[in-house]
Order: sequence, then C-alpha cells, then structure tokens
Amino acid sequence: MSRVQIEIFLGTLLVLATGALIIVYGLGEEERMARLERQQQGQAIEVGAELYDNNCKGCHGPQGEGVPGLCPPLNDKYLFTDRMKDVGWSGSVEDYIVATVSSGRLTSTRPELYAGQGSPAMPAWSEDYAGPLRQDQIRNIAAFIMNWEPTAPDRRTEGGQLAGPPVGTDITIELPEGDTVNGEALANAKGCVGCHVSTPTGPAWSASEGTPGIADRSALRIEQADYNGTAETAEQYLLESIVLPKAYVVEGYLDNLMPANFGSTLTAQDAADIIAYMLTFK
Amino acid sequence: MLNSLKLQDLRKKLSAAIDQRVRIITAGLGIDELRAVMRGDPPTERPNPRYKVHTTSFLFHIRPRYYERGSTIFAHTFRLGFFTTFAFAVETITGLILMIYYTPSPDEAYSSILNLMSNVPFGSMLRDIHRLGAEAMVIFTTLHMLRTFLTGSYKKDRSFTWLTGVILLGVTLLLSFSGYLLPWDQLAFWAVTIGTSMVEAAPVFGTEANLLLRGAPDIGAGGLLRFYLLHVVLVPLIAILVISIHYYKVAREHGISQPARIEEGKASPEQVKNAKQRVDFIPDLLTHEVFLTALGLFILVAAIAFNFYGGAPLEHIANPQQTPLDTKAPWYFWWLQGMLKLGDKTLMGIILPTIMVAVLVGIPYIDRNPHRSLFKRPWAVGLGLLATLAIVVLSYMGLPEYGIPTPAASRIIQDMAPEEGLGPLREVPFEQLQPGVYEVGQEVPNNLCPDLILGSDQPRGCPELTEVFKDYNDRIIRAATVTNLPKNERLPNVQAVMVIEDWQQDLRKVTMRIGWDDVDSAERKSYERHVYIHRDHGGE
Repeated sequence: MSRVQIEIFLGTLLVLATGALIIVYGLGEEERMARLERQQQGQAIEVGAELYDNNCKGCHGPQGEGVPGLCPPLNDKYLFTDRMKDVGWSGSVEDYIVATVSSGRLTSTRPELYAGQGSPAMPAWSEDYAGPLRQDQIRNIAAFIMNWEPTAPDRRTEGGQLAGPPVGTDITIELPEGDTVNGEALANAKGCVGCHVSTPTGPAWSASEGTPGIADRSALRIEQADYNGTAETAEQYLLESIVLPKAYVVEGYLDNLMPANFGSTLTAQDAADIIAYMLTFK
Repeated sequence: MLNSLKLQDLRKKLSAAIDQRVRIITAGLGIDELRAVMRGDPPTERPNPRYKVHTTSFLFHIRPRYYERGSTIFAHTFRLGFFTTFAFAVETITGLILMIYYTPSPDEAYSSILNLMSNVPFGSMLRDIHRLGAEAMVIFTTLHMLRTFLTGSYKKDRSFTWLTGVILLGVTLLLSFSGYLLPWDQLAFWAVTIGTSMVEAAPVFGTEANLLLRGAPDIGAGGLLRFYLLHVVLVPLIAILVISIHYYKVAREHGISQPARIEEGKASPEQVKNAKQRVDFIPDLLTHEVFLTALGLFILVAAIAFNFYGGAPLEHIANPQQTPLDTKAPWYFWWLQGMLKLGDKTLMGIILPTIMVAVLVGIPYIDRNPHRSLFKRPWAVGLGLLATLAIVVLSYMGLPEYGIPTPAASRIIQDMAPEEGLGPLREVPFEQLQPGVYEVGQEVPNNLCPDLILGSDQPRGCPELTEVFKDYNDRIIRAATVTNLPKNERLPNVQAVMVIEDWQQDLRKVTMRIGWDDVDSAERKSYERHVYIHRDHGGE
C-alpha cells in the first residue's frame, strides 16, 4: 500500500473511532448532566450555609431556630406548609424566601409573635435595595433554608410533646440523675452546639486557650465579683443559664441571643441530661 | 443488441455529464482523476490537472503546489505549525457553539456556564475541548517557535515570517487570556484583575490603558463585555489576518525550510537530490493533513471522554469583595508571575517583558550568522536554551507555593480544605465525616470513630477521615515542636481542634480552629475556618 492509501485507511478508522467515542460519551450524558445539577445544588447549599452563618444567624439562630418574640424560626414546618397560604403568596416557598431576604420587612407581619429588630423589622439584603448581597448569594441562602424542609420540626404541636412536666425556672429544684449520652444528643437536637461549640456567638463549652471547660468555668463564675445570679453550685449555675439566660450574661456576649423559653420546652430529665453532658467539659 | 447499444450510449452520456459536474465542483478534477488521487496513482491527464486546482479553486490557491521532500521530514517540523492551525480551527468552531449559550454580563455569565454544564447535552465536552484546544494552541505555538529557532529557519528571507510568528505568539496568549475572564469565577476574576493591574504599572499611559481595558477602575460589567468582544471579535480577526500572512509567506514564497544539513552542503549529492524532489499537495500533502486532522480530533475527544484531561475548571462565582488566598495566573503566565516576585511592577511587569518581546522580534536582525546548523552557531543555540531554561525556572518561581510566606495556621487549614477546589478534607466520603470533637495531640487513635459501621462491605470506622485528621495533626504538632522553622511557620503552645457537626440534612459543618502564641509578640492568637460539606458537592 502506498503512504496515501495507508493514511486514508487510518484516517477513516480514526474518524469512525471518534464517532464511536462521542456516541458512547453521549449515552452517559443524561446521567452526567443530572449529577452536575445535583452538585451545583449541593454547592449552592454549602455557599448558602456560609452566607447564612455570616449574615442571618444573629437573628434567626445558627440552626434557624429563631428567637422567640423577635425573629421567626426558619427551620419550621409552618414555613414550608401553611405560611404561603396565610400570606397569600402564589409563588414557591423559595421565591418567597428570596423576595423576603432581598427587600426585608419594613414592619413585622406577625408583630404579636415576632416583632423583629426595631425598624425596619428586617433589613433589605439585596444590593438592589441598598443591602450588601448579590442576587446569586441570596439565591444560595434560599437554597440553604429550603434544605431544612425535610427535617423541620412542627413547632405548633411540639409544646405538647414533652415527656413530663417542664423544668420551669426555679433553679433550686432537685434534678434527677443525668445521662451524658442523651445529653449530647439533646445538645445537638436543641441547637446548643450551634453557638456553644465552635462559633463565637455564645461561650464555647470546651476548654480552649487557657480557659477551662464549662464545668470548671461554672464553678469559678459563681465566685466572681460581678456575678449577680442566685446559683450556689455549678449545676445550679448551668440550669440558671439555660432557663433564665438573662439572670447573668457573661461579659462580651449579647443578652438577646440565648432563647429564654427552655424552662418550658425541656423536662427536668432533659435539663439534667444536658447539664451532665456539659459537666464533662473540664 | 440495439437495446444494449443504447444503454451503453446512455451510460457514456451519463458518466460524461457526471464527470463534468464533478470537474466544476472540484475545480478541474474528473472522476477518474479523483479515483487516482484516492489511490495514490499518478495523474491520468496531461497537463497535470492537480496543479490546475491551485489556480482555479479559492481554497486551494492559498495552498502550495508541492513541498520539497526534505522539508516534509517529520523530525524536521513535527507538524507543529499544522497543529497550531488545527487548534485554532477547533477553537473557532467550538467557540461559535459556546457563544450560543453564553451571556457576557456579570449577572448571567456564571449561571450560563452552570447551565451549559448541567443542562446542555455535550455542553461540558464542548467547554473541555475549547479549554484543552486553547492550552494546546499555546503549547504548539511555543514549540513551533522553538523549533524554528533551533533549525535556524528564521534567517534571510524568512525574517519577516518570523516577525509575523512573534505577533501570532502574542495573539495566541491574548486569545487565551481574554477568554480566561469569561466564566466569571474567582479564578478568572482575580487572574485578570492581576493581569490588568500590571498594565496600570506602565509608565505615562498606565492608568488610561487600564481604564480602557477594564471599562471602570475595577473589573465589572464593562470589563467583562470588553474582554468578551476582544475574545470573540477583535483578536480572532487579527489572528486570521496574521495567520493568513504568515502562512502565505511559507506556502507561496519561501516554502518550509530544508533541514540545515541539506542546505549547507554536508549531505551527499544523492541526498540533496532526493531532498529536492517534489511532494505534490494533491494527493500526498492533502491526505496527510486530513489524516492529521482525524488524529487530532481523536486525541481531543479521547482526552475528554476518558477523562485524561481534568476538565475546564470552574470555581465559585467571582466575588470582588473576597481575595482568594492563593491566586494563580494561567500556567503560560507563571513566568511573568515569577518575575513580578523579583522586583518592581513597572520594571518586571512592563519594561522587561517589552525588552523580551523586542529581542524576540529582533532575533533575525541581531543574529547575523549565516549558518543554520546547530553546531555552527553555538552562541545562538546556547543563549536560546538558556532563555528557555530561564522561563522554566521563572515559571516555577511563579507558583503560589514559592516565596510567599503564609502563616502556618492558615496554610495548614487552606491545604486541608482550600477555598477553591476539593482538597483532602472534601475528598473524605460524606458518611465518614462522623460528628464529633477531634482534638489535636501527641497521640492520635488509629481510628477516630471505631463504632461507625457504614455497611457490611465497608471497613469499620472512618479510615479516610482518620488519615486526613492525622495529616492535620502531624503538621500542627510539627509546627509546634520543631523550633528551627521560620517564624511564620511555628505554632508554639498550640491548641487545635477539628469539630464536625451535623448541620442540615446532607450537610455537615467542619470547624478547624488553631490557637497559638505568636513568636514575636507572645500574644495568644487564633485562626478558625468553617467548611460546609454537602453530600452532593462532587468530591467522590
């Protein structure tokens, strides 16, 4: 065969092979596009989580639990089920979140429940309305909030689900024996760890950089000159901090971030478990 | 009898008519001639109809009738010029298709790329080919220039062709760089911000030139549109014009050079005679080009389909408020980044590169040595190789790892979970990111989560998380205990932790926090980062 013929032959083979490759690649294309879409959604949630942490958690809580009396919870079944009906919103929940975050709220829509942080009740976040965020960032935050939907608790019925009488706000009561394992689970479920493990919102429980863990710290706190609560033991101090968070606020932390209603949402056993868990941080 | 005669008559007439049509389309080649071409047979008619095509056909009139055999030797040219043109053609075609899906505005650009990848069949492949083709074009252009320099093919009547070649090198780099901004991600935004800020350092007209490029003091909607138009209109037009001039000189004026040993009389008369033989464009060169095209396409598609090529990168959307920790120019500008580390922006970013371009342009006029053989011009070859070596060394110095001291804590955490891309932490399978507080210390358990059972076919515990944590642990302990490290790499009295929390459905939050005593001030310092990892983020 001459060189020309060899090259024509090989060239034809290569073109056929290229065509076959493209076809084989094309067979997986649907699946690949679907996977990339899931990835993009996952990454949007990651970015949204970070933006939420930097901008939103101060009012709506690190885990979207809100602040009773001030800011509505966002990881709430109500938001994903009946809220749209109640406000007469015709679009999707995600669009509602985007619209609300973008333009904020001049006045609260439920002043008796969530009065907001003054005026405006919620600031506008979009650049278009003199806020700090771009539209794509707001979309990411909405993607993050939407990801609470499958696990959102129903707060309207939750109050009646307590396994026993609530612990109340009397810190001198005798608590039952605490279980540290259940305490850890409760600390996660109630969102304590959101502020008290790694973020600087509330005092961290674990020991770090010269300060002892929360167990030893509690014992020291009640000896402090500026301590104005009524606790006499470390356990009482911790119970006081949980059910009466405003009794004493550690210097450097805001006094309105810790929810004030744990006295009515925890049983005595729950409180004992959480305290037992906290006392493991020496 | 009569019938068959008529049939023969009809056949003859028909084939004559077809033959005539074919001749009109092929600008002179009849059916028999085409057949001979495909078979590599000699011409069927006289005068040779294969030469006629070069005057009657537009597409063929710019092609040479023949090259001399010596200049077609593979080891002489490596077909580098051909492959550069091939890459340019691939870029033009894929680029035109990509333009359909792209919107050059900061609000739309990034999402149009996301849409291209997740919603357009073969969209990712097109983008990957366009990216791979662009890098190939830079490589081929550079190698082509190096080859021309080493074979001494820039001398005498080829000096103007060399000049157009230097312009084409610049055009290629400009094409690549202007396309860099278009995805509007962090990588693009900051690379181009740095690139254009160098223009600002130019004396006299720096500020104005920078403003002209960016359209505003900072890159925004105006800058993106300008780079887009540069990329899809102005620079390609210049490229087509200069490629045409460059090619026409080679094809119609001086041809591809002969190897030096043929031209400079070292070869035997026999060899010279052989090297001067004509290789006709039709069919030899043409089939060779078609073959190389098929080969090039196959390599491109195979590189993407078998994922040999990592794929075109896409980082987070451009954020002018957040400068990334490690900014990196595209690799073909690392040498420039390396030079910038050596001195002042105006000197290293503007004046020296200008001198380098001037030297490149001037090579045929500076180098008056008439010889082409490697051995008869030791100075030219030596300096050329030295310059190549310098570019390689400068490129190494341009890497972000070189010469930029980063505080140990942020360096370690950045290496664990970089702001962009995956990094070891994100490569840990999601299930293994077992919530807990993991403290850095001298002793690390062999398995961080011994009770974790993910499935009967999986190993117990979380081996990959343990591996990553051990690395994190080791680097911190090393920074804490080795005392002869540079100051910024030390972490005395370190306390460090890695906290993994369940944050949402399919979302976990990893906090890495390092506290240490500053070496100079003895003050307590700490650095911490939160990394959110979603099950579908695309790591595994």
